[in-house]
Formats: sequence, C-alpha cells, structure tokens
Amino acid sequence: MKHMLRQVFRSGKFVTGFVIFMAIMLTVIIYPLLITDHPLSIIGQGTFFPPGIYVNVFDSVSSPAYTIMLDDAAAKRIAGRLNDEDREAIREWLVGAGVADGEIDIANTESLLGLWVNNYDSTANVAGMTNADRNYYIRLNKSLQVLLSTEGVTLAASNPETGALEETGTVEPTQYVNVREVANVRLLPLGTDNFGRDVLTELVSATAVSLRIGFVAGIIATFIGLVLGLVSGYMGGIVDDVISFITNLFIVIPGFVLLILISFSIGQERRGPFVIAVVIGLTSWVWTARAVRAQVISLRNRDHVNLSKLSGHSIVHIISRDILPYIASYVVMALILQISAGILAEAQLSVLGLGPRTTEEATLGLMMNWALIYQAHILGKWWAYFPVILVIALIAFSLNLMNTGMDQVFNPALRD
Amino acid sequence: MKGYRLYFGKKVIWFFVTLAVAFVLNFTLPRLMPGDPVAAIVSRMAQGMSNTSGVQAIYEQYTELFGTNKSIPEQFVLYVRNALRGDFGYSISQYPRTVADVLRSSIFWTLGLQLPAILVGWILGNALGALAAYRRGNFDRVLLPVSLFFSSLPAFGMAVILLVFFAVSLRWFPTSGGYGFDLIPNLSLTFIWSVIVHYQLPFWSLVIITIGGQAIGMRSMSIYELNADYVKYSRFMGIKDNKIVRYVFRNAMLPQITGLALALGTMVGGALVAEVIFSYPGLGSTILTAVLGQDYPLISATTLIITIMVLTANFGVELLYGFLDPRIKAAQAD
Amino acid sequence: MGEVILDVNELTTKYVTRFGDNIYAVDHVSLQVEEGKSLGIAGESGCGKSTLALSLMGYYFPPLHYTSGDIIINGRTITGMAPDDVRRTVLGNDIAYIPQAAMNALNPTQKVIRFIEDVFDAHKMHMSKKEVRETAEGFFQAVGLPEEVLNKYPVELSGGMKQRTVIAISVILSPQVLIADEPSSALDVTSQKMVIKMLRRLMDGGYIKSMIFITHELPLLYNVTDDIMVMYAGQIVEKGSSKEVVLTPLHPYSQGLMGSIMVPEAGLRDVKLLAIPGVPPNLKNPPSGCRFADRCKYVMPICRAQTIPLREVAGGRAYRCVLSPEELSEAHAREVYASHAK
Ligand SMILES: Nc1ncnc2c1ncn2[C@@H]1O[C@H](COP(=O)(O)OP(=O)(O)OP(=O)(O)O)[C@@H](O)[C@H]1O
Ligand SMILES: [Mg+2]
Repeated sequence: MKHMLRQVFRSGKFVTGFVIFMAIMLTVIIYPLLITDHPLSIIGQGTFFPPGIYVNVFDSVSSPAYTIMLDDAAAKRIAGRLNDEDREAIREWLVGAGVADGEIDIANTESLLGLWVNNYDSTANVAGMTNADRNYYIRLNKSLQVLLSTEGVTLAASNPETGALEETGTVEPTQYVNVREVANVRLLPLGTDNFGRDVLTELVSATAVSLRIGFVAGIIATFIGLVLGLVSGYMGGIVDDVISFITNLFIVIPGFVLLILISFSIGQERRGPFVIAVVIGLTSWVWTARAVRAQVISLRNRDHVNLSKLSGHSIVHIISRDILPYIASYVVMALILQISAGILAEAQLSVLGLGPRTTEEATLGLMMNWALIYQAHILGKWWAYFPVILVIALIAFSLNLMNTGMDQVFNPALRD
Repeated sequence: MKGYRLYFGKKVIWFFVTLAVAFVLNFTLPRLMPGDPVAAIVSRMAQGMSNTSGVQAIYEQYTELFGTNKSIPEQFVLYVRNALRGDFGYSISQYPRTVADVLRSSIFWTLGLQLPAILVGWILGNALGALAAYRRGNFDRVLLPVSLFFSSLPAFGMAVILLVFFAVSLRWFPTSGGYGFDLIPNLSLTFIWSVIVHYQLPFWSLVIITIGGQAIGMRSMSIYELNADYVKYSRFMGIKDNKIVRYVFRNAMLPQITGLALALGTMVGGALVAEVIFSYPGLGSTILTAVLGQDYPLISATTLIITIMVLTANFGVELLYGFLDPRIKAAQAD
Repeated sequence: MGEVILDVNELTTKYVTRFGDNIYAVDHVSLQVEEGKSLGIAGESGCGKSTLALSLMGYYFPPLHYTSGDIIINGRTITGMAPDDVRRTVLGNDIAYIPQAAMNALNPTQKVIRFIEDVFDAHKMHMSKKEVRETAEGFFQAVGLPEEVLNKYPVELSGGMKQRTVIAISVILSPQVLIADEPSSALDVTSQKMVIKMLRRLMDGGYIKSMIFITHELPLLYNVTDDIMVMYAGQIVEKGSSKEVVLTPLHPYSQGLMGSIMVPEAGLRDVKLLAIPGVPPNLKNPPSGCRFADRCKYVMPICRAQTIPLREVAGGRAYRCVLSPEELSEAHAREVYASHAK
C-alpha cells in the first residue's frame, strides 16, 4: 500500500493533478475563514460591476489630501476619458480642416491633443459636416477644456437651516488621497454578478458546494457500482446475468437523460444540492459496476483466492481480504472520475434550469445559469462566467490528470 | 456470413429490449415521484396560463393521455400506443401546438448538428491520438495534456468561450439561433448560407470537446497495440513499417468504435447543453423551454426521443463494429 | 566439422531508456553456429537472452541500439547494412525469430494467409497468391497443421495450433538460422520439449540449416542441443558442448543453474540444493570485476579487482573465472558432497 502510494506520487501527471486539486480544496477551506461575509449577500446596487478596487468617494473627500505634481497627470486623465470613437472623430475633423493625415496619430494622446488645441475653431467650416456634427465637436471641445483646466472643483453642502448651498472646500487636480487612509475600500477581484454579489466570494462557496455534490454523487455511484460489480463478478451464475443485464441496459440508456427526467419530476421545491447529488449518484454507477465486475472475474480463479476458499473462509472474508485489495486502485480511479462527472452533471443540469433550487447556496452550475440568463457572455461581462468555467475545467482537469497518472502506474503497458 | 447474422440477430433483440426498457422508465420514473403528478402538473399549469379554455383543453386531454382513473398496466398500454403513433399530447408552454409538432423541427436540428460533430470529432481525435502514439516525442508530450484539458472542459464551457471570442468579440459569426431571425426557412441561397454560418460555432465547440477525449483513448490504445507481441514478430519477419502501422491502427481503432457506442449517451447529454448556449433550435433548447414553462408532456417526450436516438445510433455503431472486427464473426461461428 | 553459418564477434548492444541511461544487455558476445547444429542459450531471467536473440537479427529499433561487433551470416556481414536491406534480405531469409509466446505473436484481426502474403510481399518475392498458398500449405503440413488453418483468424486457433502456425511462418522463407526464444514465464517444460523436437525435425527435413534455442532451464538443454552457452548479466560466462556444460559445469553460476538436478536420488530430487542466493547486478552500471562476484561462493578479492576474460579450454570450451577448471570441478564436487551429507 505504502509502496503503491510512493509510486503514484512519483508520476508527474498525478502530482500535477494532485497539486491543482489540493490548491482548490485549500482555497475553498481557507478563504471563508478570512472573508466571513455571507457569499450570497447582495452588496452592489446594479449588475455586473467590473473587477477592481472600489474606493469610497465620500470617504476620499474627507481623507487627508496630498498635493503631488506629476507631469503626465493631465494627459492620463484625458487618455482615460477619450474613447476610440472620439479620437476617430478628432482625426476626421483635423483631416477636414487640412491637417495632413500622416501627421495624426490617434493612439498618441498628447500629440493628438496638441493638434486639436492648435487647430480647432468652432466657427471653421469643414466640408461635409452637418449641424449635428458641429454641435458634437463643440461639446467634445468643452469637455476637453474642463479636463485640461488646472482649476479645481468646488465642493458644496446644503445648509440644513437655509437649504442653500455653501462651499465646503475644493478639490484640485493635483490632490491625492492615500488609499490606506480612506476608511472604505473594497477589493472586488472578480467584480459583481447580475444580482450585485461579490463574484469571488460566491465562486469559492459555489466551488465548495459543487465539490460536495461531486463527492456525494461519486461516493454513492462508486459504492453501488462496487457492490454490484463484486456480487455479480464473484457470484457468477444467474445473479451475474441479472446484474450484467441491468448494467448493460443503463450503459446504453443515457444517464443524463434520466437525470433530466428525474430532476424535472422531483419538482423544483424539493431539488436541493443534496437531492441532486443523490440523483446523480444513482444514475451514474454503471461504469464502475462494469469495470469492477471484469476485475473480479479475472481475480476469481487466482490461486490465492482458491486457497482462501479451500480454507473455508467466508465470502465476506474472501472479498475483503483477497479481492478488494487487488481492485482498490481501480476503485479509487473510478471514484475520481465519478467525482469529476458528478460536478459536470450538476453544472449541465443547472444550465438547463434543472439544478438545485436554493437561495442560501450557489453551485458552479447555478452561477453559470445566472450569468447566461443575464446574458453576461453577450454583454462582455467575462468575470461572471469565465472564472466559473475555468474552475469547473480545472477541477475536472486535475482529477483526470490524477486518474491518467494512476492509470500509467498501474497499467505498465501504457507507460511511455 | 453466418457468424455475422447471428451477431446481427442478437443486436436486434438487444435493441428492442433496451427500447422497451426505455419506454418503461419514461413511463414509471415520473410516477414514482412522491405526490400525484397530474395534480402537480395541473396546479403548475394554472399558474403558467392565462388562457382558461386552453387550460381546460389541456386538462381534459391530459387526463385522457394519462388515464389516471385507469389501472397502471392500462395506462402503460395507452401511453405506448400513443407514443408509437407519435401522439404526445399538447405542449403546455406552447399551446395550442402539439408536442409532436414542437419536436418535429428540433429533432432535425439536433441530428444535423450532433451526428456530424461527433463523427468529425471522433475521426480527428483518433487521427491525432494515433499520430501522438506513433510519433511520440514532443508532439505527444504536448498533445496529451492539451487533449486532457479540452476533454475536461464542459461542452457548454467550450461553447461559451467560442461564442464570446468569435461571435461577440470578432463578430465573425452570429451569437445565436440556427438561422437569421429575420428569415423564413426555405431553400434560397441566403437561407442556406445563414444556416451554414450559424452552424459553425456550435459544430466546432462539440468537435473540439470530442477530439480531446477520443485522442486520449486512441493514444492509449495505439501505445498498447504498438507494444503488442505481434508488432515485434511482424517486424522481425521483415514486414515494412508502414504496413505494421496499418495493422496497429486498425486494431487500436476497433475498441474506439465500441467506445464511441458506449460514450454516445454522455456526449449527447453535453451537446444538448451546448445547444442551449447558442439558442440552437434543437432538442437541448426544447428542454430548456419545457423546463421554464413547466411543460411536462414536452419534457417527457423529449427525453424519450433522445433516448431512442441514442439507442438507434448505438445500434448502428454496433452493427458496423460487427462488420469490421473479424473476431466477432469468428466468435459467433463456434 | 560443418560449415560455420552464423559467426558473431564481440557483439555489443544497448538499451537506451527514456531517462537516457545505457543498459548494455549484450556485452561483447561471440558465438558460432555450424550447419546442422543447434546452440542452446541458458540463463536466469533478465540476463539478456532475449536481447541477444533480437540483437542477432541485425535489425535494431529503439530502445535497442547497436554498439559494436560483427554478425556474419554465410560469409556476409550484416552489421552495418542499411536497415531496409536487412529487413528485405536478411530477416526471414537468413535469420528468423520465433517468439514462443505465440499466443499474441499474430495480428488478431488478420487471417493467417493474409499475413503470409504480407511476408512474401515484404521480401519482394514476386509470387502469385496461388503460389504463396501452395508454399504455405507445404510448410503447414510439415508442422502438422491442416491447411484450413490458413483461412482462419488467430482467435479461432488453439494455443498449440497458434504455436505451430508461428513456427511454420517463421521458417517459410527457409532461413539459415532460426532463433527460438522461450520466455521464463512459459513454465511448461513438456511443451518446450515438443517445440525443440519439432524444430529438430524441421532441421532434419532441410527447412532450416541451424538453430538457436533460448531457455532459462539449463538442464532442459541436455541431450537436446549440440552446444550450450550460459549467459549472466549480458555476458557469456561459459560455453561448450551440451554434455560438458551440463555434466561438468565450470563456472560457479552454471553450477548453480545445474543445482536442482545434481542429486538424482529419490527424496531429494526437487530440492534446489545449490540454488543461487542473491539477484543479478543492475546492468545500468555493472560491477567492474567479475559480475557474479556478489553471489559467488568462491569469491576472492582478486575477482573484483580486474575484468575477467573468457578463458578458452580445449575443444572449444570456454569459461569466465579466475579459478582453473580443476579447482572449479573440485570445489563443485565438495559442495555437492556436503549437501548430500546433510
Ligand atoms: N525495452 C527495454 N528497455 C530497457 N531495458 C530493457 C528493455 N528490455 C529489457 N531490458 C533490460 O535488459 C536486460 C535483459 O533483458 P532480456 O529481456 O534480454 O532478459 P531475458 O534473459 O530474456 O529474460 P527472460 O528470461 O525473463 O526472458 C534486463 O535487465 C532488462 O531489464
Ligand atoms: Mg526473454
């Protein structure tokens, strides 16, 4: 046993898979200890806030201000506001006004602005320009002027007694606050989802639930498969015929379709994560049963089993001492695959709207389902769905790697 | 030939047995669930429908279809007879369309998408796997983990990634549907072109997923065969390498055919979900609408149809296999 | 003295593992086989017998690589020839190989006759299918197989039939030398004997000119092959006529291999009196002196200090040990006597 473990851990594939899987497991365990917010609490008013550091504006204003003179501050400020469409429009105007096209580089904010400030004239008549265009350019120019100005912005508060606005201070373009001195700063590494929940926190908790579903489904499937495989392989005869018949039936009748039918019939009120896991387990034991049966049949007539039979050991003894140890590696491999298949099955069911109905817990599939319903993929809100796909793929990938690694250790014929 | 006929006979019997069981399961599973299915369905319908005469019509037709007042065996006979006639009653969510009517068009889209995708993925995957086993070296070292990763991606994940990249960002392909939403199905060039363009992303997302799994399987099988004793013996009898490679890949492919037959169910399950991502007008999207509309007759009929499709495809693959592997004929002849 | 058909000089080949290690599983081996003669090769599992068999074919593919030495068949040196020429003109014609694990030696999805056609085709023997079939029928008759076997798939044949099919195919091009390799896992001694007898008949019938038989059971070769060669850790440790090697083994390793039948008296028969303790050295970096030193009863410091050459004795006999033949025989006799006394 110890020897086998050592061999398995010498396989590069297994170790890679194991490390990835353990990293996911550890994250799932440790993260909630550090961030204790409820994973499904709604914090954002609105949908799909992009990933980033959110700094409270109100607190910034009352934080100590530092004046820092940076040459490129203005240019950066404008670069951040000037979108591609505006730049293209500026180029068009300049070309219309007679500036050589080769001189204009719309990617270079500074030179573009220089050209604009030097050449723009709201009264100039550029060929082919409609009235609406003219107004657009006037607006554009005005907003650029504001951004370029070195004047500060005045802050005002309404006087509770008179209701009149009173100046309370100004904010200069050169003033900075230190993020560490702002009372409220929130890091949202993966932004928020369609309901305004923190995607990362939600993802971690969903991964935990999905892993739980995978484990429950995998253990149920492996247990049923193991028992049926052992019984039919060892007993043979009519028992074997019946079990094999059932196994072969459910191999061709697609389990996923049964899963859809059962999940729908259960009704949404009763569909919790645990129920879904049990249903997945109950519909996916066939492969294990088949593999175990084949293994047991090849073991059944080995010398050590015969010896055990002759010594009058009970069936339980023979199975647990003389058969199980020899198929243990296969069973572990089957379990690994079942866990991965269980997680995938839950995700697929959820995308079809047949996933667990729950308001307290998310699963990876449900997160995917919500993102799809709210069209995150069409709207370009990648943080709502891509991390989910990545986590599902990484879990499956790490488990498959572990399985392949073990396969190569236990089947020398496959070794490179 | 006698051997094959025997094999064929066995497979035909097995096909009908599995078909019968599929019917039984489709009939019993919903009835095994706690509670009275008809009552539950009717109460659900009441929420979903504003058209009272529609509700009434479905209710009557439904009790007739289920025959809840009759004994279970009678109900089953009724169910099978109706199903064989293609009569699955009315769809609740798309009343007054019949379930058969809803399914008729989606079956076509699903078949047209999944059958070619699985076949192409299977062929490309086997070719790649065989090449990796034969060439070894860097090609193999890269291919194995890459295939493993792609086969680990859920089909819907691949679908979303392709969609975002090629349809949303690059705008090379449309994001959803089986054809332009402004078109009416006909045989004009515009329509056919629209179908082809809409076909690409769903098709390739299924193909890529399938390639991964098949390449891994074929690689293992080929390595196993390349190490077989007959390869060594053939070499030392002076047989040319390219002929030996042909022996090996033929032998490695045979288990891959059975593998395909057995994996069909799983593949189709994943593919149905991928259809949903693209709102492809196939059975996957039908399931989604049925789920959203709590459309029991539609779900039940769809699952039955999918099962029958998988069983038939499986049957076809098995027949082909018996034809290709001489060992089958030989084993049956004794 | 017949004509020398196979003449091997100082042949060395190595396996290159995927970690880049060199394993010299055949290390400076020289041997001769004359027309009409048979050579037996014996040794424990892993000593390099199969590797020697494959190396003799002159056709190398990874992980096995040719390092040095010559193989001369009927006066033609095949080492150094282009691989494709070896494949076409040497394999099957000059030298043929029987893996006696015949169960899997045939492609399971190919009819026997199709494979035979492929064999003829590979050697550019421009023969019609009918001619091939007639030739094949002749050979199948010679090994006692009905001609229907030609039209069958390997799965349809019994184990014994498969073995004979493989033998018939191996000799179908009338090779000068036939090498039969018996893996240690084939424990059935009677079937090995049957195979040797059949090969002898083929040689007497003129289908093959000479043969090499490989086994891990040295005693089995007694009275069966003309000469015997004992291998240990990739090297020849002893060679001589069958009678000499079996009855008066010189090298302590050969003595050990003979241990089990040195005591013919009832009651003691199957006790491995002189069974050799220990395991063979790792061929990745074999010990510099005598490779058997760690397991030898008579080991002396000098054994590990120098490489031990193969010492020729009269009559083509040779052995690899620092002790003289007399000392070795004497020591052996003492051992046997001592174990009797117990
Ligand atoms: N493909 C290979 N790659 C690397 N080393 C090998 C390979 N095949 C064999 N060897 C090594 O070469 C040595 C000789 O092996 P070989 O198969 O020739 O032994 P053998 O004498 O035929 O044994 P047996 O009686 O069990 O058939 C062994 O130490 C073995 O580990
Ligand atoms: Mg060997």
